[in-house]
Amino acid sequence: MRHRTGRVAKRLVFIPVAVFIVITLAFGLVNVLPGDPALLIAGDLASDERLAEIRAELGTDKPIPQRYGEYVHQLFVERSLGDSYFTKRSITDEIIQRFPDTLELVVLGLLGAVLYGTLLGVLSSYFRRRWPDRVSRLSVTITQSIPDFFLGLLLIYLVFYKLGWAPAPVGRLGLLDLPPERVTGAVILDTIIARDWGLLRTAAHHAMLPVITLALFYSSHFAKTSRAVLARAFTSEQVEFARACGLSEMKVVGYAFREARTPVLTYVGILFAALFGGAAIVETVFAWGGIGPWAIEAMTKLDVPAIQGFILVVGLLTLLVYLVLDLVVVALDPRVSYE
Amino acid sequence: MLGSLGRGALSHKALTVGLAVIGGILVVGFFVPLPHDPVQPNPANTLAPPDGEFWFGTDRSGFDVFSRVFASARLDVPLALAGTLLSIAVGVPAGLLAGTKSRWSEAIMRGLDMFQSFPLLVLAFAVVALTGNSLRNVVFAIALVNAPRFVRLVRSEALSLRESRFIEAATAIGASRTRVMVRHLLPNTLGVVLAQASLAAAHAIIVIAGLSFLGIGISPPDASWGVMIRAGSQNIATGQWWVSLFPGAMVFCTIVAFNVVADGVHRLIGRVED
Repeated sequence: MRHRTGRVAKRLVFIPVAVFIVITLAFGLVNVLPGDPALLIAGDLASDERLAEIRAELGTDKPIPQRYGEYVHQLFVERSLGDSYFTKRSITDEIIQRFPDTLELVVLGLLGAVLYGTLLGVLSSYFRRRWPDRVSRLSVTITQSIPDFFLGLLLIYLVFYKLGWAPAPVGRLGLLDLPPERVTGAVILDTIIARDWGLLRTAAHHAMLPVITLALFYSSHFAKTSRAVLARAFTSEQVEFARACGLSEMKVVGYAFREARTPVLTYVGILFAALFGGAAIVETVFAWGGIGPWAIEAMTKLDVPAIQGFILVVGLLTLLVYLVLDLVVVALDPRVSYE
Repeated sequence: MLGSLGRGALSHKALTVGLAVIGGILVVGFFVPLPHDPVQPNPANTLAPPDGEFWFGTDRSGFDVFSRVFASARLDVPLALAGTLLSIAVGVPAGLLAGTKSRWSEAIMRGLDMFQSFPLLVLAFAVVALTGNSLRNVVFAIALVNAPRFVRLVRSEALSLRESRFIEAATAIGASRTRVMVRHLLPNTLGVVLAQASLAAAHAIIVIAGLSFLGIGISPPDASWGVMIRAGSQNIATGQWWVSLFPGAMVFCTIVAFNVVADGVHRLIGRVED
């Protein structure tokens, strides 16, 4: 137990350092990298006055240490991520408005990926070298070789255009549907809160293809890990003993699966963090309107404060997810603390 | 080591097929005359379905999909390979250094942990967008995303190798630490690095497709698979499947080919997970 608290304490001490690094990176991205954002924003033909004007507005005309001080001051004292360079809206508001949509997609997509992926992994290792194993490995080979956005387009063609089972990829709801009253900002959750079951059906229907896209694409990670771990677990003495005790096969599989819990959970954490930016292209394809397409648009327009804000928020979120992940893994698997 | 790998490669069917597919795509892209100009649209033939003249159809600006699919290979595959080479050039020395008992090893690993806790793909997108859309920056972006895996791989190889007898022997006859690293450790990591390089190249193809799909790094009218998939994405919901399907299928084939090569190399060096 003492080991565990020590490990947790070490992680907590590390947090301020990590936050500092995230802030510095978000700052450095714009200020230290070669390349002048002002030049990119203004274009090649801009006059020197216009360039100076943009530099002053972005603050890139001052020396780097002073800029860094101002950036940190802005974050901690004014508690602001700045305003968008083009729309002049507060970056914090923009992010808060879009975040729940992405969260909903990422949670549902990962849930699907874990369920489908571990199912494949379990079948694959249980029926080793028999047809379920081959089918599962074929699925892994295919889904890990198709870019997720192309997979999304294929699904749109097949399921929407050919079969007509999915609605047009126009976003969270149909074009004529009124969104539910905004409570959490996550549309599916809000329809449940508003007890609008018809609208929930619509929202779920619209979420179907993007969720399936993410679930299929990321399932290969879970399938490969759980297969590798379970293949070992099924030949272990523990499983042999469980069988010798006359436990049902379901129970035996359940015991074997305990081995895979930690690696599967680790992947959930890593992918969860990675998907906040990683789902951006899938969000774009399905006009989802989350934080990803907004960030991508900011990148193509060189909306510097928005890019910085996005990197900062995603970086901090990643830190948080990794911390929670560490704590959960230690809680689940006592062996970790002795390493 | 390389010689035996080379001889083994030819005797291995899957590996040969994988390399042949990649080579074939490159040869067609670079040397075979394309039926139409890949960057010259023909406004008279927009969104034409595949037929005798336009084998893969045309997109809504009138570009010939077949010509562009192979012209894209000229850009995408060499970019992926260049990015992978840069990742190796950065990652392998760092991994060797991190795998030896030096004061650098701990620092490199902690730094890597921090670095990798970022969503690297997004960071790569941001870096390319902010430093200017150029092919050179795309190569940097790929190295940014892929170099960490070489560091980790080479380090873990070095950690298990450094306890072996021949390293001990080399140290005993007075080989310097650098000599041990370069002449004894490095050649023994070659096989796994090659396999990982092939996986990294497959990943690079996805990253490039993603970047160019978003119009970052490569933008139309330059031919790139991501650009082409993007061009067809507006048409696929109305049934014009060919504009996106063919470039997507090429991405798929290229990635599968790289994965098959990685698998083959793993088999050659006797590291099959199954």
